Parts: sequence; C-alpha cells; structure tokens
Amino acid sequence: MTPTIAIVRIETPHRRWPRLWIPLFLLWIPALLLSPLILLVLFGLCMAGRVSPWRAIAAFWSILCSLPGTNVRVSADGNKIQVRIL
Amino acid sequence: MNENRRQILEMLAAGKITADEAERLIAALDPSPTATVGEFTGSVAGNGATVKTRAKYLRVLVEADESMTGMKGPTTVNVRVPMQLLRAGVRLASLIPAQAHEHLDEALNRHGVPLTLSQIKPENLEELIDHLEDLTVDVDGKDGNATKVRVFCE
Repeated sequence: MTPTIAIVRIETPHRRWPRLWIPLFLLWIPALLLSPLILLVLFGLCMAGRVSPWRAIAAFWSILCSLPGTNVRVSADGNKIQVRIL
Repeated sequence: MNENRRQILEMLAAGKITADEAERLIAALDPSPTATVGEFTGSVAGNGATVKTRAKYLRVLVEADESMTGMKGPTTVNVRVPMQLLRAGVRLASLIPAQAHEHLDEALNRHGVPLTLSQIKPENLEELIDHLEDLTVDVDGKDGNATKVRVFCE
C-alpha cells in the first residue's frame, strides 16, 4: 500500500501549530503526468550503470509501499516535530 | 467460537491465566487455527505465554542531555520504521553494479571492514533482518552523561 497521508505536527516553545494533513496520494497526479520523463531518465541511468531498470523500479516501489507506518519524532531546544506516514 | 478459544476463556474465568496471557494465546491461535490449547499449556504454566509474534517495527530512541548537544533542554529522537522498509531497503543493494563491488570491497578493507559485497546474497540479508527482531541495543552514557540510545524491534 502506497503512503496516502503524511501528518506533520510542529511545536515551538511559544506556539503549537495545527496538525498538517498532507495528502500524499495527490502526488500521483504530477507523477503520472511526468512519468514518461521520469521513466526516460530512470532507464538512461540504469543503462549507464548497467543495472536492470525493472529491478530498480521494483526496489523503489517496494520502498514506497513500505513507508506507511513510519513515525519520526524529534524534540530539541524546546521545539518538537513529528512526522507520521499513513 | 471454536473449541480452543472456549478453553482459553474457561482458563481465564477459572483464574489459571491472566488476561494478557489469554490475549496472547488467542492471538497466537489466529495464524494456526488447528493448534490445540494443550500445546500452549506448558508455556503458560511457566513464566507466562511465550508465544512470539513477528516484530513489525524497528525503533530507535535517542536521548541526549544538554551537555551532549549544547542545546537548551534534552534532545530526544524517536524513530519508528516498519521492518518491511528495511527489507525493501536491502534490495537496493542489488542495484549496485558489479564493477562497483570491487571498489567498495577495497574501500571497506582499507577501513578495516573485511566484507566481500559480491558474496552477500539477498537471502543472507533477509536472514539478517529476520534476526534483527531479537536485537536490543542499550547504550547509556557515563560520567554523569544522561545520553541513552536504544534500538529494538517491536
């Protein structure tokens, strides 16, 4: 399952920002529009590196589908940031 | 409700097992519904249910105090990544061109890491990730330094 939403939460010592719900699924639209160019660049790089382009696509696709569930929280100097990928 | 679940619930009602143990037994029944309660009795009679579920996430916790970072207040980093992401990440190793392996092996050897990348197979890396589930790393700072690093799977 590809990531659908990213939730970003930022807190500073003086302000607590509202949660940002970023619809990652909307990124498919520009990705599909630019897909010919992306594939061209990808195939060119793979041929230059003598790597199978299908293996490269499979590797990046599996990474993309594994992102949901990632949760990163950093707190430093009174500032906090949390990113969750659903 | 099948017979195994009924037996687990009866054991819970009789006070022979705790609610946590009952929950773990019922969860363990799901992947193999043909298992009987008798198979779990030994482990329950010991130090609680020892049924092991597969870890889903790798967790990295870092807590560094002010003396370490120079910042005001403690710094904490809490990262949780799915194990599936690690498995997908090791597939990137297969994208390294064969001619680059020699250069990488040479560089690793120079830095004291006697690894031969070409001999590492995807199944080896899969096995490594599977065994990561048993890994727990706890690092505590010394000399009054409250820095802690924990790496574990959950």
